Amino acid sequence: MNHHLISLTLVFPLIGALLQTVVQVPRSRWIALASSLAASICAVILIVSMQNQNADLQMTELLPWVGSYAISYDMAVDGLNALLMILIAILFPVLIASEWDQKVGVRGMQGLLLVLQASLFGAACAQDLFLQFFFWGVSALPLYFLVGIWGGEGREKAAFKTMVAGSLGDALIFSALILIYYSLDPHTFSLRELAGGKLAGKEFNFLGFELSVSHVAFMLMSAGLSLRAPIWPLHGWFTEVSQEAPSSVFVALCAGVVPVSLYLFSRYCYVLFPDALGSAYKWIVGVGILNLFVGGICAMAQRGLRRLLAFICLSEVGLVLMGIGSLNPVGVVGSVYQQLMMGLGLAGFGLFSGIIADRTGSSWFMDENRERVLGGIVTRAPVVAVISGLIVASLMGFPGFGGFVGHALIIIGSYSIHPLTVIISGGALVLASYYLFTMYRLIFLGGVNERSAGFEDLTLRERAYMLPVVLSLLFFGLYPKPLIELIRPTVLTVLSAVK
Amino acid sequence: MKEFVYIMPEILIALTLAFVIASEITYEGEQLRLVTAISLLGLGAAFFYAVYSYQFGPTPVFSGVLCLDGFSLFFKLIFIALAALSIASVGQTAEINPGRRTEYVALVLAASLAMCLVSSAADVILAYLSLLFLNIVSYFLAAFGRKSLLSTEAGVKYLAFGSVAGALFLYSLAILFAYTHSLNIYEIHKHLLAQPLPPQVMLVVFMFMLLALSFQIGAFPMYLVTPDVMEGSPTPVAAFLSVGARAAGFAIAVRFLIVIFTQPGMTEGHWEVLGGIDWTQIFAVVAGLTMMVGSLLALKQESVKRLVGYLVVAETGFMMMGLLVLDQVGIAALLYNLVIQLFALTGIFYVLSFVFDQVQSDRIQDLRGLLKRSVFECGCLIAFLLCLVGSPPFPGFIGKFTLIGTVIGSGRYPLALVGILAMVLSTVAVARLSYHLVGDFKKSLAPLTSQWARKAYLTVLVIPMTLAGIFAGLVLKGAGESLGFIFW
Repeated sequence: MNHHLISLTLVFPLIGALLQTVVQVPRSRWIALASSLAASICAVILIVSMQNQNADLQMTELLPWVGSYAISYDMAVDGLNALLMILIAILFPVLIASEWDQKVGVRGMQGLLLVLQASLFGAACAQDLFLQFFFWGVSALPLYFLVGIWGGEGREKAAFKTMVAGSLGDALIFSALILIYYSLDPHTFSLRELAGGKLAGKEFNFLGFELSVSHVAFMLMSAGLSLRAPIWPLHGWFTEVSQEAPSSVFVALCAGVVPVSLYLFSRYCYVLFPDALGSAYKWIVGVGILNLFVGGICAMAQRGLRRLLAFICLSEVGLVLMGIGSLNPVGVVGSVYQQLMMGLGLAGFGLFSGIIADRTGSSWFMDENRERVLGGIVTRAPVVAVISGLIVASLMGFPGFGGFVGHALIIIGSYSIHPLTVIISGGALVLASYYLFTMYRLIFLGGVNERSAGFEDLTLRERAYMLPVVLSLLFFGLYPKPLIELIRPTVLTVLSAVK
Repeated sequence: MKEFVYIMPEILIALTLAFVIASEITYEGEQLRLVTAISLLGLGAAFFYAVYSYQFGPTPVFSGVLCLDGFSLFFKLIFIALAALSIASVGQTAEINPGRRTEYVALVLAASLAMCLVSSAADVILAYLSLLFLNIVSYFLAAFGRKSLLSTEAGVKYLAFGSVAGALFLYSLAILFAYTHSLNIYEIHKHLLAQPLPPQVMLVVFMFMLLALSFQIGAFPMYLVTPDVMEGSPTPVAAFLSVGARAAGFAIAVRFLIVIFTQPGMTEGHWEVLGGIDWTQIFAVVAGLTMMVGSLLALKQESVKRLVGYLVVAETGFMMMGLLVLDQVGIAALLYNLVIQLFALTGIFYVLSFVFDQVQSDRIQDLRGLLKRSVFECGCLIAFLLCLVGSPPFPGFIGKFTLIGTVIGSGRYPLALVGILAMVLSTVAVARLSYHLVGDFKKSLAPLTSQWARKAYLTVLVIPMTLAGIFAGLVLKGAGESLGFIFW
């Protein structure tokens, strides 16, 4: 059955982005919102109409693209990427609504956000390596312009660094891609055909050394993705972007692009390199723990909301990596679930910190001496305080919220690797509760001072876009069953290839 | 007489050229001049005739002096399209003085006539003469901005390098003639198959030819002149030469290197090195050096035109990869890249010439905040630049993939690694440029004046470029089929 729903999720935002170049301002914003929402509705219909208990790729759309190189337009969803569709569907209409009052070049900004939405939908659904990389490469460009044009003081430098890191990362993935393509005969990019360890045992000769295709390609791809998602030693550009980018753009990065890159990593691991994963899973978990901890410790030291968000993102990435490397059905299901939840949680955090920064003039909540500079917002603006409290609770992994399900599954799953990982990740969660609660206390509780005195509560528009984020965090936290049933069959199937 | 039908595109261009020259001689100050329109009509007729000529199949013309085959027709289409684009933009730039437009049109037509001859020459003398014809016209074009020191310098440097390259080319052909007593490359090929040259002589012939061609395509040892020409000559000329002169060089390089230095391999569409030396190794080293030198030097440039000049050098290195694997897939990839560059480079230089007219500078510093000042043009500029260096959403990426892919397919992993590194470096060079273009967006800067004709021209470039990406399969298939009835 083919409804072309996946293609519609790409087409609507692109049409919206094109219309931004011709339609004038008041109307252009409605067009942007409408096209983004239309794509999101298609994505939601797509997910709702997926069959449960089915591990296969569904809703396939297949067209030849570059025939002579066996590249095809092959889009499909299964348990690994279905949740990302929901995430992107919720995220982008919210972001477009949050940039409603942008003063400078609102059409350009919303157009670029729409292009980003389309490219992330594409990267999430593509089942052809070339096509997937194509969309993944496209997603780097709108971010570059969004940071470079609408960012803060050092925006151009931050954008330049992003571009350099991104193009280096993409080049690494690209080289892995060509290596994989030419190692099989007949040459193919199709993930369906490459699935199930077809690359195992293939070797190539580089300057006289016999190297294993799957190991080299696995390393190239992980290194390439780690330059697009924040992984501990290579996260310099990410924190710089967090400082300079407008809050909505940074949300698009850490709640949109980062989960997609984690998804790509898991897809590559399980589908392309089950043999390399057998020896590399310990490294993945190791990097995950390192990120979880470094992210947590660095987050404790932050005085500003922006960098705090960056380091929370770092530690969330670490947690998801732990789940991916656990090779245990519970842990892997948790990591897939957590991709959605980290996206929603970080998006909520980014949005309310953007609102606070807008109203109080800066995103600092401590001064140089680590003394409080804000406070008492709860009495001035109870709605902001409640919404922020719910989001923070989800990020801490408080029971009843989406974050809890993901955290719990990953930690339970990681027990199979080593009991120590449970202790370490539990410790990191305690750390997270500490710094998140400190932040919350310093901003919302306590006495009112002059910076927070004139704080106004959320407007109707702001309530309208915060609501979907918070509601979905609550809903998926209280009733995760349908989503988990969607993920589980696919995870069990891909894991059977690893063992 | 029948054979004139086969060279109809050239005849049409020559007639148009004659008309343009006649109209310049008889010009007496009339208000309305139709030179541009008439030459566009002539080129359009030549274009359609070239498309029509595909049905003739591979045919030797004038007892094998020229050969009409898919390969030469593909190049002819590129050259004619390039000349038409170049002439269509002449009215919109202040760098070409309105009083000298006809002169410029005549030079462009002459150059495109020469290029068409180069692409179909199978006789060494004709190849040499048409290449020289092209180069002499190019010297005039490079020095077209007579009042500008840089332009004169570009012309003189081009002349100096060009004469050395011409001499080397002639010398290598002379050695071949001395051994084989034949002027036709296909006959030379037969002689060499029967009686191979001593490897040392073959090496000398190859090195001379490589040096000569490296001037034409802007490859490693002779690349030095390319950025000077790109920077010094008027911007429309830079656009024309950066695509045209290089493409002509590649036409000669593919035909001569494949015919003279290889023999058909075991499988269809593959060739093997002929004679004792494996020249593809030398070629690979030159390609790698060209890519690295071009993309590294592009990182440091202050003049945008020069920066693009170095990017062009790097692109040459990439396209050499398509030739050195010695199979049809590689050459089809080369042709595909040429099509992409036709649109990308024309577009880049077109926007730069528009900016140069208004800002009177092509320093990176002076272009700061360009995006704010003219969103559409600057957006197109960045898109063309990213397309040139092969950034993913643009068709240039598919081009780079096909080139690097063929190299990996033939097992040359180190070269592919160098290629990917050069791709990253040139992307960084473009990112550095767009860092300045995008900068100062929030400041209020005076917008540049724009006309609808300019936007229309850019749209005309963007649409086929996008289509070449979306229908990359068709374009690659067309290129492959053009090679299918080449005449080896």
